[in-house]
Amino acid sequence: MTNKLMIGFAALLAAGFAAFFGGVFDEPAAQAPSALAASQSAEDFKAGFALNASTATLVESLQATLEANAKDEHTWALLGLAYQQRARETGDPTYYTKSGGALDRALRLDPKDYLVYSGLGSLALSRHRFALALKLGDEAHALSPTTARNYGVIGDAEIELGRYRTAFRDFNTMTRLQPSLSSYSRVSYGRELIGHTAAAIKAMKLAVDAATDTAEPTAWTHVQLGKLYFNHGRYQAAEREFLLANVTFPNYAYALDALATAEAALGRLHAAIDYERRAVDLIPLPQYVATLGDLYTVTGHPVLARRQYALIGAIERLLRANGVRVDLDIAQFDVDHGLRLHHALTLARIGQSERPSIDGDDVLAWALARNGQCGTALHYSQLALRLGTQDALKFFHRGMIERCLGDQVAARTWFQRAFALNPHFSLLWAPVARRYVA
Amino acid sequence: MKRLLFAAVAAAALAAPVAASAHPLGNFTINRYSELDVSGNRLYVVYVLDMAEIPTFQAREAGGVHAAAYVRRIVANVHLTVDGRAARLRPVRDELAFPPGQGGLNTTRLEILLAGPTLSGRSAVSYRDRNYADRIGWQEVVAKGTDGAGLLHSSAPARSISDRLLAYPKNLLQSPLKVSSATAVVVPGSSAGVPPALISPKELAERVGVRNVADSGFARLIARSSFGGWFWPIALAIAFFWGAAHALSPGHGKSIITAYLVGSRGTARHALILGATVTITHTMGVFALGLVTLSLSQFILPEQLYPWLNLVSALLIVGVGVSVLRWRVREWRHAREHAHGREHHHHDHHEHGHDHALGLRRLLGIGVSGGIIPCPTALVVLLAAISLHRVGYGLVLIVAFSFGLAAAMTGLGLLAVAAKGIFGRVDVGGQAIRLLPAASAMVVLGLGLAMTARALPHVT
Repeated sequence: MTNKLMIGFAALLAAGFAAFFGGVFDEPAAQAPSALAASQSAEDFKAGFALNASTATLVESLQATLEANAKDEHTWALLGLAYQQRARETGDPTYYTKSGGALDRALRLDPKDYLVYSGLGSLALSRHRFALALKLGDEAHALSPTTARNYGVIGDAEIELGRYRTAFRDFNTMTRLQPSLSSYSRVSYGRELIGHTAAAIKAMKLAVDAATDTAEPTAWTHVQLGKLYFNHGRYQAAEREFLLANVTFPNYAYALDALATAEAALGRLHAAIDYERRAVDLIPLPQYVATLGDLYTVTGHPVLARRQYALIGAIERLLRANGVRVDLDIAQFDVDHGLRLHHALTLARIGQSERPSIDGDDVLAWALARNGQCGTALHYSQLALRLGTQDALKFFHRGMIERCLGDQVAARTWFQRAFALNPHFSLLWAPVARRYVA
Repeated sequence: MKRLLFAAVAAAALAAPVAASAHPLGNFTINRYSELDVSGNRLYVVYVLDMAEIPTFQAREAGGVHAAAYVRRIVANVHLTVDGRAARLRPVRDELAFPPGQGGLNTTRLEILLAGPTLSGRSAVSYRDRNYADRIGWQEVVAKGTDGAGLLHSSAPARSISDRLLAYPKNLLQSPLKVSSATAVVVPGSSAGVPPALISPKELAERVGVRNVADSGFARLIARSSFGGWFWPIALAIAFFWGAAHALSPGHGKSIITAYLVGSRGTARHALILGATVTITHTMGVFALGLVTLSLSQFILPEQLYPWLNLVSALLIVGVGVSVLRWRVREWRHAREHAHGREHHHHDHHEHGHDHALGLRRLLGIGVSGGIIPCPTALVVLLAAISLHRVGYGLVLIVAFSFGLAAAMTGLGLLAVAAKGIFGRVDVGGQAIRLLPAASAMVVLGLGLAMTARALPHVT
């Protein structure tokens, strides 16, 4: 029984912690089906899955095993990982705390289990402690060099720390070791980062195909695919994927937020507000709250918008009280809304140093530009675009920087590129860019 | 009263380091609890709504939390059937409170007593709560019979595992509860029973305050309700022990004290003076911060004061380090000058007398820097003691705590002095020994600078 559980769990993990991003650069189209068929573990995988289609059931049986034998180290590790998947499914952060507790227990019982380090690593990722996550991923990898999951943890951390070359290599290795939803989605993300959109879409479709009957990871992949379409202006296709996600896993804040952006791009602002409000009710992430506020702003409800913006202030206080030093999302929000610009620049600087990814660079560039330091801003904008990422918002920021530096021609070109890619890249800023291009 | 507890909780948040969430279920949950209570011949429902910081903030932004409106809405979404027929639940009483949460924000706790029908015989009861169905949070239903009533079958337990949403279980094998309905077969009593009681905001404040406080070992003392014969000595011993243990936790300048005593030809007397300074400063510091927190808690949170205290303490150490170093350099120059010329007896004497006053001042400086940062736990104890009307007891505990703190530091100091004595007598290479004082001054200065650098970014 325990064995089957474990196998089922391995599958669940692989599928589950598709975490934030995904990448890889081999051409997996040819490799994928054969790899899946040939893989011995793929069969085990499916067997395990049929047994444990629901994480909730899995959690219960792991808990029961531990009630009977509290010294069962491996089950503690598995429970720690299952709790993380539950956190993703329910949005309830208590599960993260419990996951940490269970993994600590496992670690005390056996300090040599790679799964524990791997689990603590993914927990660190979800808490945005990227350097720590990388360290834990490395330890897990040292204990078990052929486990795909470890490469996922390491690669995700490297992406956030701006170490793209090694991250992409790790995603490649991960896919070779275990072609699955989580490895394909990482490949896709990597391709998106280097601007290979069509290839990224192809890989994400493979990820969707590799999905098993666990609903949340499947829904997550649909949202990712939809976001790829959205970022390239294909709003109908995006909406279709978001709706699929919403059907696959109802009441999924991540899908509801995505749906809101698609509806807004399609001009259905009231539907957008409806979706975003549900997302915020489920999990009040700062970026959801900001989008809701912006939706109220563009539909002419300044009072309601102000309420959302005030809520972001409260969330920031809570983050601080919980020891989170800085959140890039909050820095970006402040810059976007012209609030406490000087303070926002400080936040962006700290954020970028802790998270020197292209997103960190872009937020810092934007913060510098809005504070009038356009020369330095240009440097960071160049960094933000160094991979060749096709991201309309980053193009727009660059356009604003060029404009500030007095190069109207370059500015126009960047605005046009942003529009060609995704005319609805931002509720607040797309209209501004439109004015400049006209 | 409320302000006091708020301060106590704010300080408690300091005592627990990072990520100790005041609301154990996250800052955005909406938690619901229903207790079906057949008391005598009537069915009651106690409904408890516990909203974390974010929903409370949202509700306040949207016009405030008004008990009457909330009660109306909640009642409309709870459904009770008795023997298959819908039964009405009538709100009888409610209690609304806003317990303090994290980041200076509040949470909401609303308790409602709902009266259901009187039951004449064995009845099948079914209950469902549809409030906030899509919101994340703890959902619990409990069913019990009192005053002569009993339950034959029940899908719900008779006891709450969260103490009515007051203490969420920390058991790692317990998933957050998600139960919103219950069925039971009840046998009512023959006459009217006592309606279930609600927790008043005042009682709630005390329970929440005490629960928060009771999370740390030393602070648990203040919440003790029994005062047996042996209680006093034991309580004082525990407080002393916690103080000593606290001194051994990082910070508190242990390395600085050792470095200083080693470098400055410290004696046992110096170590004792140091200990006394630490005790006095720490006790005064706790009292002062307690007073400031009490009188200014509307404007200043203790967590805003701490960075400044850290900075002051770091700067004190830098000052001491600089002063010791200057003295060493001067001494060394003298020694060099006079090594070439006359004997330096005379100068030695002169320096020594001069040293003494200076040394004492530096000693006090170090002692003050070690005691100036009040231990958050001690602050919690003080504030909790005031809120529980046990001020005298709290003060005594804090003094005992400070003594423990000082004892540990004095002990370390004595160890350092003894170690140095041995070192000195063995006389391994005169050069090394001569360099030691200067090196220790550098250590003190370096540590002070490091502490300043660490304290500065937090002071904004």
